[in-house]
Amino acid sequence: MAVLVDLTKCIGCESCSVACKLWNKLPYGKEKSRRQKEKDLNDDNWTVIQEKHVEGENGKAYTRFVKKQCLHCLEPSCASACFSKALRVDPDTHAVVYVPELCVGCRYCMIACPFEIPRYQWDEPLPLVTKCEFCVGRLKDGDAPACVSACPTGALVYGERDALIARAHEIIAANPHYVDYVYGEKELGGTQWLYISDQPFEKLGFKMGLEEIPPSTYTHAYLSKVPFLAAAWGLFLAGMSYYHHRRAKNEKKPPEKKEEGDGRI
Amino acid sequence: MAQNISRRDFLKLASGTSLFGLGVLASGCASEEKQSGGDGWMPDQYHGRGDFPAQLKGRVAIAPDNAAIVRDDEKCILCGQCIEACQKVMSVHGYYPLPIKDETACIGCGQCTLWCPTGAITERPAVEEVEAALADDEKYVVVQTAPATKVSLGEEFGLAPGAIVSAQQVAALRALGFDAVFDTCTGADITIMEEASEALMRLTKKQAELPHFTSCCPGWVKFCEYFYPDLMEHLSTCKSPAAMLGATVKSYYAEKQGIAPENIVTVSIMPCTAKKFEAQREELGVDGRVDVDYVLTTRELARLIKRRGIDFSALSPSGYDSVLGESSGAGRIFAATGGVTEAAVRSLYYFATKQQPPADLLSWQAVRGLTSIKEAAASVPGVGTVHVAVVSGMAAARHVLDEVRRTGRSRWQFIEFMACPGGCLGGGGQPKSEFPADEAVRRKRMEALYAEDKGAPRRMSHENGEVQALYREFYGAPLSARAEKFLHTHFEDRSGRLFDRETQSQA
Repeated sequence: MAVLVDLTKCIGCESCSVACKLWNKLPYGKEKSRRQKEKDLNDDNWTVIQEKHVEGENGKAYTRFVKKQCLHCLEPSCASACFSKALRVDPDTHAVVYVPELCVGCRYCMIACPFEIPRYQWDEPLPLVTKCEFCVGRLKDGDAPACVSACPTGALVYGERDALIARAHEIIAANPHYVDYVYGEKELGGTQWLYISDQPFEKLGFKMGLEEIPPSTYTHAYLSKVPFLAAAWGLFLAGMSYYHHRRAKNEKKPPEKKEEGDGRI
Repeated sequence: MAQNISRRDFLKLASGTSLFGLGVLASGCASEEKQSGGDGWMPDQYHGRGDFPAQLKGRVAIAPDNAAIVRDDEKCILCGQCIEACQKVMSVHGYYPLPIKDETACIGCGQCTLWCPTGAITERPAVEEVEAALADDEKYVVVQTAPATKVSLGEEFGLAPGAIVSAQQVAALRALGFDAVFDTCTGADITIMEEASEALMRLTKKQAELPHFTSCCPGWVKFCEYFYPDLMEHLSTCKSPAAMLGATVKSYYAEKQGIAPENIVTVSIMPCTAKKFEAQREELGVDGRVDVDYVLTTRELARLIKRRGIDFSALSPSGYDSVLGESSGAGRIFAATGGVTEAAVRSLYYFATKQQPPADLLSWQAVRGLTSIKEAAASVPGVGTVHVAVVSGMAAARHVLDEVRRTGRSRWQFIEFMACPGGCLGGGGQPKSEFPADEAVRRKRMEALYAEDKGAPRRMSHENGEVQALYREFYGAPLSARAEKFLHTHFEDRSGRLFDRETQSQA
């Protein structure tokens, strides 16, 4: 499943972020030890609307509102970095979900995420990682994510990823004001949150120039061989040990005379 | 070592412990692994895949720097009532093409504050600032009360809608420490002096500027600037009554009392949130001094009175201060839809004919009542028949405005616009006595206003003795150069902040 965000339709009402707070029972306005320059994601804000002031090609000033949340990569780097399987892909919905009770708090996911999405509960004594869960419970009930269902202007649309990509290209083709680019279609192997915009994405704070290959593929080639290598190395060492012991034994005592043992090893 | 462990015993112990540990770990795996979040609540309308049209969905956009209203996200339950008010009553939300240019559309009317069931949306508070001004001995704090507040403030203290509490309100304001208490109805009488003269001039000499649009409602004015800038030339250049009174206080009254205008702080008690935006308009000031410094809504005044522990019902009635405290019946009905028209036509008749208007114009039923669009005609000798329209609620206004835009002229020569349904008496700053804002309460308030008019010793603005003295001593005559400087304003095309036709051609 996927969501298409049409940034031209967002009026900045923040229904989405309030819906997220309601559905996920997240607190408001807690004082954070980590100061943020603008409204941004943190352990209580799983999605935010950022107001961006851009100068158009015609020199005029424009205001655009950019919704920020986990993009739910098809090949999530966070999940591949997570050795305790706390971050994983939900098999039914393909949402990238986080299981707090498996988390060991290593924060590899935060380093691995190319979009810098996961946030840490820095002010908690037993901190966990937090991020958008794609309202996976709602998805399983056949509902749209909370934020999508609350959007009054149709800036957020929920559906099958292929259908939404086709729809995004249709919208772009029909209106020359759109930038001819669907953000998330190819980024790092594709994400399930897709964006279209009439202002250049780089001006709106999007990370551009990302590769089309998921980062996990680089490490997958050799990391997937690690278990076999480990087993083979163990076998090799065991073989060497056996050979060494046998040779040493043979050298010290000739085989003709065998001592009687007590039956123990 | 006292005890020897054989190799076999050690291995037994080690493998046993490992098996037990593995068992413990495995039991953890068997428990249900639940992802974080997702155990909260959403209102009923948010089920399904989100691709169906919902009756009430989401909420209106309120910019953080909105001068009129603010919202506390923590109280928002996404009920969608604000959208209902903004779209259906005011025709603002959803009435501009997307993408937006660079401003979040809001005319500041505050109807959403009346509809919001949790009190998440409220007026931008100014109580602290007013209290600070009251505590400052250097400042001479002057307050004025809008006509609509006189018939609604009592509701905050348990009185029935429509209870007339003007005298208690004045007493409460004195108890709060205001140095002078004036009546916005006096400002309304000044407005009528200017506006009736202006309308008469347009009717007789400058007919190209007809139809004449009233300009006392700040919500309506901003609506016109946003959506109908091509019709702005029809707007009366008159400031609102509150601004006129503020400008007069800081000039005429200051001079008369020998107070330095920069030490005067003008506060207005308004049924309105849009007045807070109006007060911040740069053009509403004279010689760098703003006309109105702070605006409190009816609700905020009630809060202030309650906070100070003033027993509202026990207050002995008090009258307005002189110089700017007398009001005619015409000034008092400004708060009802049709009131401005009736007041203007009464004086217009007199200005045109130098005779008192006939009795039916002193109780002009055709322009009274809560209907959103009313039509009437008045025969004024020497001018002819003046066709008037009275509109309240901006959704209704679009019908009239679209016709004016389409035909270039209209069937009407004089059109009154009020943003809120029923006029100021149903304003966005009024007590939340009924939820959602209800016609029964508005009707009670309206009836009280017309009773106030009927009981007034003088029924017409130009008969107001204090206003006559003001013109004699200060302004000279309506539309004089001095009156133009202090009492008139200009408007700004705001459509460019909402619309950008280059990027919205497809919208």
